[in-house]
Amino acid sequence: MTVRALVIDDSRAMRRIVTGILGDLGYETRQAGHGQEALDVLHEGWAPDLCTIDWNMPVMDGLQFVHAVRANPDWRTVSLVMVTSESEHGQIVRALAAGAHEYVIKPFTADALRDKLALLGLLPEEVAL
Amino acid sequence: MTHVTGTGPRRRASDRSPSITTLIDTATVQEITEQAWLALVGEDEVLVPLPAPVPADALSAWVEILGPWNGSVVLTCGRDTAHELTRALLGEHAPEVLEDEDVDDALGELANVVGGNVKAVLPGPSVLGLPEVGVTPPPGHEADTCRVDVLWRGSPLTVRVQSVPAERENEVPL
Repeated sequence: MTVRALVIDDSRAMRRIVTGILGDLGYETRQAGHGQEALDVLHEGWAPDLCTIDWNMPVMDGLQFVHAVRANPDWRTVSLVMVTSESEHGQIVRALAAGAHEYVIKPFTADALRDKLALLGLLPEEVAL
Repeated sequence: MTHVTGTGPRRRASDRSPSITTLIDTATVQEITEQAWLALVGEDEVLVPLPAPVPADALSAWVEILGPWNGSVVLTCGRDTAHELTRALLGEHAPEVLEDEDVDDALGELANVVGGNVKAVLPGPSVLGLPEVGVTPPPGHEADTCRVDVLWRGSPLTVRVQSVPAERENEVPL
């Protein structure tokens, strides 16, 4: 079973890094440079199991994207994980209240991201079971 | 990017933001930078705290922080160092030929991660701007700057957490 992830970050470098980690874990991935581009991917019909979302991005930021996804019942099964350098407690609470499932603070290691996905039962090997 | 221009209310002179040196020390800035290096650049990458002049062709990446404290976090290094950093950061995902855009992006992301973690230890709530990259970083308050000088793989690199210069402080939106 293919498990899909959409990596949303305005930094190409960070998209490459996160995509690499998720690819190694067995995800099929796509990338978006900001929230609106990510919404366009979802509207296309490419349905991810997971979105990793940066907070500070041009055009549409990560929090706006979370609100937009949660406002659409068609996307209610998508797991949303913030991956961001915004590490103030208030920001974390806002993201989780808006509907994000997990929060990974940059800088992070591949193991830290893997552990968060394991908590959500989202590792491809687990989903396949 | 959060701009400091606009038509909203401005700070009065009496509303000056606190001095950065009362909010964060160089040891904390160094620790934040080291954590970013270990996680993003590589587990074995060491930053040696030694001051050395940055080359004349230096490139900077910075993020602005607006809130109870106003200023910017600026990362500066030579262009060759910036290229090497980009390769290290991207690792096996690095393209064969690095474009300037790749280097700007990688240096900007490092500044973003360091800046975000600096912001977390400052009084909030604050807004973190999008990273910018160039040869001329925003001016800082020289006497109110927390500066860390390190060597990475023998090349100099500086991280400055600098307050907005006093003469520009009344331009900062509330």
